[in-house]
Order: sequence, then C-alpha cells, then structure tokens
Amino acid sequence: MTQHQKTRTASGAGLGFRRELIEMLKAGVPSEINFFELAPENWAGMGGKSAKDLRYFSERYPFVCHGLSLSLGGIAPLDESLLRRLREFMAVHGMTLYTEHLSWCADDSHLYDLLPIPLTENAVKWTVDRIKHAQDILGMRIGIENASYYVAPPGAEMSEAEFISAIVLEADCLLHLDVNNIYVNSRNFNFDPLAFMAALPLERTCYVHVAGHYVEPDGLLIDTHGAAVVAPVWTLLETAYQRIGNVPTCLERDFNIPDLAALTAEVGLIAQLQSRIGQAERGVVR
Amino acid sequence: MSKTDFQDFQRAFGRHLRDPRQNPRPDGVPARRMAVYNELLFNNICGFLDSCFPVCRATLGEKRWRQLNRSFYRDWPSHTPWFHEIPYELVRYLNETTLKQPLPAWLAELADYEWVELAVDIIDCPIPNHASKGDLLVEQPVLNPTLMNLSYQWPVHKIGPDYRPRKPQPTHLLVYRDDQDKVQFIASNPVTAHLLELLKNSSLTGRTACLQIARELQHPAPEALVSHGLAILEQLRQQGVILGTHLIAAGTTQAR
Repeated sequence: MTQHQKTRTASGAGLGFRRELIEMLKAGVPSEINFFELAPENWAGMGGKSAKDLRYFSERYPFVCHGLSLSLGGIAPLDESLLRRLREFMAVHGMTLYTEHLSWCADDSHLYDLLPIPLTENAVKWTVDRIKHAQDILGMRIGIENASYYVAPPGAEMSEAEFISAIVLEADCLLHLDVNNIYVNSRNFNFDPLAFMAALPLERTCYVHVAGHYVEPDGLLIDTHGAAVVAPVWTLLETAYQRIGNVPTCLERDFNIPDLAALTAEVGLIAQLQSRIGQAERGVVR
Repeated sequence: MSKTDFQDFQRAFGRHLRDPRQNPRPDGVPARRMAVYNELLFNNICGFLDSCFPVCRATLGEKRWRQLNRSFYRDWPSHTPWFHEIPYELVRYLNETTLKQPLPAWLAELADYEWVELAVDIIDCPIPNHASKGDLLVEQPVLNPTLMNLSYQWPVHKIGPDYRPRKPQPTHLLVYRDDQDKVQFIASNPVTAHLLELLKNSSLTGRTACLQIARELQHPAPEALVSHGLAILEQLRQQGVILGTHLIAAGTTQAR
C-alpha cells in the first residue's frame, strides 16, 4: 500500500489540476494558487508518470477531490467499490474534502455525463439515502454541487433551491456552490440568480466553483469551462462571499486551456475578492 | 407521483441518449434542449475513444468509426466509473459481442494493441526487489511487472490507413514501461514469447526454462539452445523487459 500523506486542507484560491498544465506548473507554481482540484476518475488507481506527477504536487499543495462518476441521483446501486477506492486515494494524497454533483450519470450503466434529477419528494429521499451511505463509507461529510442543466425534468414538485436545501439538510452534507452554474441556469431558464442563490443553504457552503461558459448562436449558455469567467459571474461570486465569508474557491478550466499566466490572473481575481471579504469581516469584528 | 416515477424519467432519458433514433425523447423535454445533451454525451464518449484509438479511427475512416462509437454507446453497458477504463470497454465490446456493422477482421486486435499502450502507461504496480546484475541462467529472472507479452493473429503494429492486411500473420510484441516511465514496443517471436511466459508463471531459472523449451521442441542440441536463450535473456535485460534476478539467496545471506 502506498504511504499515506499528512492531510492538507485547501483554503484561498485554487486551480483545476490538468495534465496539460503539469510541465508549466513544475517550472513554478504561481503564489496566487493555494491549492488544486482534481477529478479522481482521471487520476486514481494509476501508476507510472501520472502517479509520480500527482505525488510531486500533492506532497506540496492541498488537493480537493471533485467527483464526476458517483451518480448520487442515479438508479444503479451506489458504487461502494468506487467510494472505498476514493477513501484510499484521498488518504494517499492527504485530501480532506470530497465533493460531487447533485446529478446522475448512470441509469443501469454509465452514460458518462451529468444529468438533471427530477425535483420530486421521492428523488430527495432516494438521493439523501445515497449521500448518507457515501458519507458513511468515506467517513466524512461530502459537499454536493448545484449542477448546470439544459432540461428541467417535467413533474417537478418543488423548486430547485428547495430540492437542494432539503437534500443538504436531510443528508447532513455540505454545499459546494458553483456560481457559474447558477448563472448559466438563470440565463437558460429565466430566473434571478441572486434570488436563487439566496434561497440555497449557504451557511453549509464548504467550497466554491467559478468558471467560464460558451454561448451558442441562439443564446443558450453551455457550461463548458472553456472560456474566461464573465463579469456577472464575478459579481455573483462577490455577492456569495458577502454571505459565506472566505470559502476555498477553485477556477475550473477544462477546454481551450490558455497559458498559466492567463489562468493565474483569474485565480488572482478570486484571491482579490476573498481578501476584500476578509477585510470586511475584520472590520465587523472591530 | 409514485415512488419511482422520477426513475421512469431517467430511464427514458437514458434510452434516448443511447439510441435517439429508436427511442423518442421523454415527454415534456424540448427538442432544442435534448439536442444539447445528445451532443454533449456522445461527444464526451467519442473524446475518450478518439484519444486511445487514433489508428483504429484513421484506418476505419471517420464515418465507420463514429458508427462503431455509437453502437458501443448504445449496446454495451459500461459499469466502470474510471474514465481511463472506457477504452477497455470498447475492446471488450469488440471481443465479446457479435456486431452487425461489417468491420475488418483485424479491428479487435488493433483496438487491443492501442489499448495496451494506455494500459501499460498507467498500470499501477510496484517494482519487485531484484538483483539487477544477477545471473540470468542460474537464478530466477524477474520480469518487468508492466510487461505485456502479446501474441496476435494480425500484424497490428503495421496496420494503418496505408496498410490493411488481407491475410493473418502471427505477430508477437512486447510492450512495457521503462525506467523513465516511457512505454516501449519491441517485436518479439514465438520462442521469446514462450520463454517469457514460462518465466512469468513459474519459478524456473533461465537455464531450466531454456531446457524445458528444448524438450518441448525436441531440440537435438539443448545446450546450444541454452546459450541462444541466454543471449535473448541478456538482450531483454538490456531493454528493460527483464529487471534482473530474484533476491532470495542474497536475502538469506543478509539474514545470517
């Protein structure tokens, strides 16, 4: 068994860890970047160069584990073997936080992307049971992320904010707040992003995502993580910080990856917003 | 709403995503929005397959490759949550099912060979203790744990858009990760393949393994085969296919 590392807890501003960035990061990690995030589905259970690269950085920086395949709202039985391997993988790399999307990606087998859960009482119960089970196996509370979606499943019995709140409270889990997803959904489904965010259980926020998206010719927004973060999303992040304080926040960039300097500038903006809220908080204390 | 109504929606959604031609989109789902998911999910799968199977893709041509990607997504239930194992699911699909799509006889082997490169690159296996300069004849050789000792009916390493073989040609290849973590490919032969198989699955020394092969071949001069075998073993050690020899004897000495 690979040796476990001392735990490192993420704080401040971070960046999604991708193979394309490794050589640039080896030349020196900019001081703006305090932690990294990875998808365990892309890294766990691997040896060779991949494992050595990851080990090099996880010995030096905190990593957050952000899952894609657990299918919290899915039909197939919860993947306990995935969870046990995650627990080991997180221990090996000293990770203390695991988050997943509040979505599903498998009916009886995997579809390999994130899909919207119908907003029903039964879906709340179903998903809560699975989150509790996951938390039991991992031995920790997990964060669930408000996902982006393009279809609102018919037959909704409650609002999305009510759905998320009910699950977070009943499963006693944490909230992973994705402000870009709120913005994308608010544009695609014509709602007020601020009102939506205010209705979430923000006091449970453990982690924040910020990212860019793509606008289709007909105006539909696609959550690609393939462009720079837009101004309204930065504003949403700033507003979120006023409610939740300084919570570790990651810039996601998965496509059209620019050079490290451009990414670092965006990570630096996160840090700037965080430092402002830090000052405001200190002001309140005085 | 009954207990599993939300799952009825999920099943209908999943069926449509896998096979939009045969399964209507679920009631109440706008066509424009469904199209986003159809494109996102299928492109996602194609991305995983394209990056592992560039030769299959180039050799089949874009249209037939995408047909295969679609029937894989439609017909093969993948249960792995690990993205790097999705290509292996395609290899299994090619080997374990009867496909309607007419495909070259060598495609399953070519796909296996392309998958091996990824598998060897990322396989997680500790390097066993070994004496790197140990005597390969009188001691037990230690193989590189990443080694894939491959035997195919087709010359998979030569197939490409410019070479589509019509007749099988038995092919032996060694694929392994070297000490710089680079994947290496070596052309092999039936005797070397058999020798490595013997060494992997037994505790034979280099010499006893060679003598066993001599017996099997009813070789008239077993000692000549041993010296030929030693040359092969030494070359394999130089290439990093063999790491050295087992440390058992040395360990005993140290214990004293």
